[in-house]
Amino acid sequence: MSEEKNVVSRRTVLKGAAIGGAGLAAGGVLSAGTASSARAAGADIHWTTRGGGASGDAIAKSVNDAFTAKTGTKVIAQQVNSDDFQNNFVQIMQGSPDDAFGWMAGWRTNARADAGLLADVSAQIKALGSSLPASAVQAATNPKDKKQYIIPTTYYPWGLHYRKSMVKKIGMNPEKIQHWDDLIKMMTLTKKNGLVAYAMGDKQGWEAMGTFDILNARVNGYQYHIDLLNGRAKWTDAKTKETFKYFAQLIPFMNPNFMDIDWDGCRDLLLQKMCGAMMMGSWFANDFKAKSQADYNDLWVVPFPEINKKFGIDTIDAPLDGVSVAKNGKNVEGGKALAQFWGSKEGINAAIAGGDTSIYVSKDFDTSGYDAFGKQKLAVLGSAKNIMFFADRDSRGDFAGPILGPALQNFMKNPKNVNKILENTQAQWDALPKQ
Amino acid sequence: MKTAVTVPKNRNRRSLSKTDRFTLSAFVGIPSLLQIILLWVPAVVTVILSFTYWNGINIKDIHWAGIQNYKNIFFNNPIFYQALKNNGIWLAFFLFIATPLGVLLAYQIDRGIKGHAFYESIYYLPVVLSLAVIGIIWNFMFQPGGFVQGIMGRDLAHALSIWGNPSINTWVILGVASWRHIGYIMLLYLSGLKSVDPALKEAAAIDGATEWQIFRKIILPTMQPVNIIILVITLIESLRAFDLVYIIYGSPTVFPLLNLLVFQNFAGQGISMKGAAYAVILLLLCIIPIITYLRVVFKEDLK
Repeated sequence: MSEEKNVVSRRTVLKGAAIGGAGLAAGGVLSAGTASSARAAGADIHWTTRGGGASGDAIAKSVNDAFTAKTGTKVIAQQVNSDDFQNNFVQIMQGSPDDAFGWMAGWRTNARADAGLLADVSAQIKALGSSLPASAVQAATNPKDKKQYIIPTTYYPWGLHYRKSMVKKIGMNPEKIQHWDDLIKMMTLTKKNGLVAYAMGDKQGWEAMGTFDILNARVNGYQYHIDLLNGRAKWTDAKTKETFKYFAQLIPFMNPNFMDIDWDGCRDLLLQKMCGAMMMGSWFANDFKAKSQADYNDLWVVPFPEINKKFGIDTIDAPLDGVSVAKNGKNVEGGKALAQFWGSKEGINAAIAGGDTSIYVSKDFDTSGYDAFGKQKLAVLGSAKNIMFFADRDSRGDFAGPILGPALQNFMKNPKNVNKILENTQAQWDALPKQ
Repeated sequence: MKTAVTVPKNRNRRSLSKTDRFTLSAFVGIPSLLQIILLWVPAVVTVILSFTYWNGINIKDIHWAGIQNYKNIFFNNPIFYQALKNNGIWLAFFLFIATPLGVLLAYQIDRGIKGHAFYESIYYLPVVLSLAVIGIIWNFMFQPGGFVQGIMGRDLAHALSIWGNPSINTWVILGVASWRHIGYIMLLYLSGLKSVDPALKEAAAIDGATEWQIFRKIILPTMQPVNIIILVITLIESLRAFDLVYIIYGSPTVFPLLNLLVFQNFAGQGISMKGAAYAVILLLLCIIPIITYLRVVFKEDLK
């Protein structure tokens, strides 16, 4: 469980703001739950690990120790629950934040940088030079001021996952699920065998965005998708409706209890050989390995199949993670140096030594030791020329979670209401304040 | 009383000693001040913010929005009406089923039916748990892969849709919430019943009144203050429902409630002043029972 949720602690943290109008004034209370208490003055650097449990701590320790060995500056690290950190980010950054922390590129970086919460790391990116591919730097650049506020480190592909043995069993070649028709054929055969054909879990409301993103990119192309998520195209457009026609075709193949399970429920469906295809980010592969090597060897990922010839498979959801520096930190320069180290060759090697299995964007990253699944992940990433960051990072925060999430859930519950749902989604977009 | 003893002839209540005056103003003043700073100032600020656009970060980004947030909620947000409906069902269920059940149980236990001590403790047990804990317990029971699903022999792929099934999840959630609410009401009512003079009941019984008549004509009127408190508690509990559902779903989208919408739009990444507008709507819905409650309490004090 890479994103294991500690429900009790989350509840405790949020309790302060949960009830009624006192929430706003309680901003300080929110951050008090997550921020560390002990803070030494001086040149020490404070670091926040965003989730990941024991392995997250091990990776952070390995990198930070290497930094200390190199520069002699002590790094004090703490781990926070990923969801809490994300939800209370603004409060934490306005309080006394750690100097550097793992963070996510896209809207979550750019909007917070515009609000003056993150420090400019353009100079550090320049110092890392050609080791960072231009596409990654481009992806980490804030479109408003053309500066960077995050040092890109790792990413992972969203693709169609399945078990090779199961696809073979129904008489198809697992390496060749390339067109929409192949997918439909595979799903029909899986369903005939009494299995879930397309695993879906959308209890939290964000998981189905992965399916929507890729369908829209396949049907209408990358540019249209990004335009749509940023208000330059309409939800009521015939093109958008076309995407939902494909989405509706998937629904009969899904497990009927998709509103009851989370993403990890989907993972368990695949782990227990109960489903054919699963559209998900590849972050969960370690859980297969933890079960058995045979399960891991059986796991496969391919790009979501082609729908519209014009666009082929040129786009992928590959959320980019990285390291950001807090503008209100006590040691901003130290934070920048540490962030740069995380993106450097030494930092990457230290992370790998600490047990990190992520894919780094850096050209210094050595992939020769990769196993078959790891190489396939790289191939899936390499097949696309446009990188999406996932709907909740490509669009604004007051749209993705509160508006798009429920809209997709309503659509999956009542696909016939699609026109009404899309009209309403557009109306809600139009009612958002200008940015 | 002290003043009456020391200054027997002076009926003017204002002539308190200096120490008394200081003590009184400290006892009244400090809590009032805290109340104003911690509750009323944020509440007023929230009301003002509900008429603005803001992302909660820089004060300079606040823009006047007029009634746009409210217009948006009332005309563009189907989820608001779902939430209103869910809160309404919650209220009706508590008012007409859970609370009367609690009262009935309290009455039966007070009558001393066989094994009443046993019933009292098992109904009281859930009350010691917070709704968050109750949410965790019942989520483990009903979620796919959970205990109840296991007993029914349903694996993950064939698990019954319970939390995500709109035709039953309302009733399951209300059942779970009532599990605690019934015990809570029972306890409150029971403590009131203990103070009812048994002679009243005996007299009525001698006059030939039936159980039902005794309950309706003697117990209910005698318990009037407790009845109102229970009514207000039921109203407030139903309107402020939050934690149980939040723990089960982790997001407000499947089973929206007003408080979940306040939270979703007022905290976290999706912060906008739509959340403030939701909070104001909720405040208005709550304030009527609260005022009623306060009036009853004050009236009693005056007596």
